[in-house]
Amino acid sequence: MYEPPFTRDRDANERLAARECDACGWVSFPEFRDICKRCESVGEWTDTELEERGTVQSYVVQQRLPDEFETPLPLAIMDVPQTSGGDPARVYGLFTETDPEHIDIGMKAEADFRRVFDVDGLPVHSFKFKRPRGDRL
Amino acid sequence: MRDVAVVGAGMIDFGELFEQSFDDMAERAYLNALDDVDKEISSDDIDAAWFGTLDIAENASSGLGLSHPTGLFEMPVTRVENACATGSTAFRSAVEAVRAGSADVALVLGAEKMRDSAGGLIEGASLEQVWRGRGVTMPAFFGLRATRHMEAYGTTREQVAEVSVKNHENGAKYPHAHYRFTCSVEDVVDSPQVTYPLNLYDCCPVTDGAAATVIVSEDVVDEYTDDPVWVAGSGLATDTFQRGKDESLAGFPATRQAAEQAYEEAGITADDVDVAEVHDCFTITELVTYEDLGFCETGEGGAFVESGTPHLDGEKPVNPSGGLLAKGHPIGATGVAQVNEIYEQLRGEAGAVQVENDPEYGLQHNIGIGRDATGSVSCINVLSKHRP
Ligand SMILES: [Zn+2]
Repeated sequence: MYEPPFTRDRDANERLAARECDACGWVSFPEFRDICKRCESVGEWTDTELEERGTVQSYVVQQRLPDEFETPLPLAIMDVPQTSGGDPARVYGLFTETDPEHIDIGMKAEADFRRVFDVDGLPVHSFKFKRPRGDRL
Repeated sequence: MRDVAVVGAGMIDFGELFEQSFDDMAERAYLNALDDVDKEISSDDIDAAWFGTLDIAENASSGLGLSHPTGLFEMPVTRVENACATGSTAFRSAVEAVRAGSADVALVLGAEKMRDSAGGLIEGASLEQVWRGRGVTMPAFFGLRATRHMEAYGTTREQVAEVSVKNHENGAKYPHAHYRFTCSVEDVVDSPQVTYPLNLYDCCPVTDGAAATVIVSEDVVDEYTDDPVWVAGSGLATDTFQRGKDESLAGFPATRQAAEQAYEEAGITADDVDVAEVHDCFTITELVTYEDLGFCETGEGGAFVESGTPHLDGEKPVNPSGGLLAKGHPIGATGVAQVNEIYEQLRGEAGAVQVENDPEYGLQHNIGIGRDATGSVSCINVLSKHRP
């Protein structure tokens, strides 16, 4: 990506790297700043990695979007656990290869690195979620 | 700190106002507010002004955007922008300044041209951030709460639709509303799907509009009216669902925070609120707001609207003006118009949508999205017939 915001956020967009607040256990993802959003301390942080699998907390299916997106587009709030345990990160998850009928609260979904869409002809890469292979209907 | 009163309220008919410019709308709302003051007021009396707009169609990037249509130059004009809570935050800011003694007579003006620019909001919200919310539009942000609320509490699709039915019923009687039609639960659940589980009739329209309010300090109130409506309390808070609180999955903790502040300042509880104008950008927003404001228990918003309690003739009427769903949602004007509606309700001047419970306290509420659409801001103002 040639635009500064995309370059700056590239690590967060392209890796499942996160940080855990040593004071309260909150997981900061995708941001890497010093102040904790939950306990407000300027705390110590421990680098952590997220699992490539999360749990759907809620979802919608978007039917009307700008041309850059395919519709219908399922979108969920995901809880993504740390590989080392502790609190999960709570993030938005765009879905792919998933029939809108087959998405549900409590469902597990796998993170997959994808070309999300193009901006001015340039590809933007990030994670999308999909129903795990063994669970496909 | 001094007590502050509302003494004048003006707005224009909301709608698709292609023939009116931003300044045309703002000028008319301002003149209507001056006209509404019981005793005489002149522009020379105004000490300062607060101006709420998101400036979506790029008409007003400074306080000058208020000075041009009103002729109010050479005085402090503060432009306020706070997402969908822009208008109510402008009102709150003006009240705080008058309370503190920096003005005796202040104007609050909110205006938005939503229909003069096509892309703006949706593209901004959906394309801004890659991972943290890219592809997340307004209906998605609120629809996520609807799916979770239905799953967690057994709220039915029909109960969610009841909010639209109620507000369109009120809007059909409200002279300034953008939409003045009525609809049934079937109409709502059969309307085209926008973002599952929300359909077209669950969404507010894209609307142009302007509204203005005149507020004064206790020191000069007698010069303007014998029937003031007092500002009893207010609250303002932000939150983001990324903090991991489970309440934010099916509700808005920012509203709970703002309500706590406002009730405490007013010395009341949720039970004392007789009439409310709340944010219903989508049906589910109003349904969860009943719970966030303490009008009913968490999880009971569906039963609350089904019971008829928030209807025009119910015990606690909510959105007598038709709300954003019927009246429309010109962002900067929305909160100001809500304040004006509560002012009219408390004075018994709300005409065909006047509530019948002889209201003493009225509440106005907005919630807005922010940043990557994970954040939210909530602003609440409580008005009272009686001096605090
Ligand atoms: Zn912390």
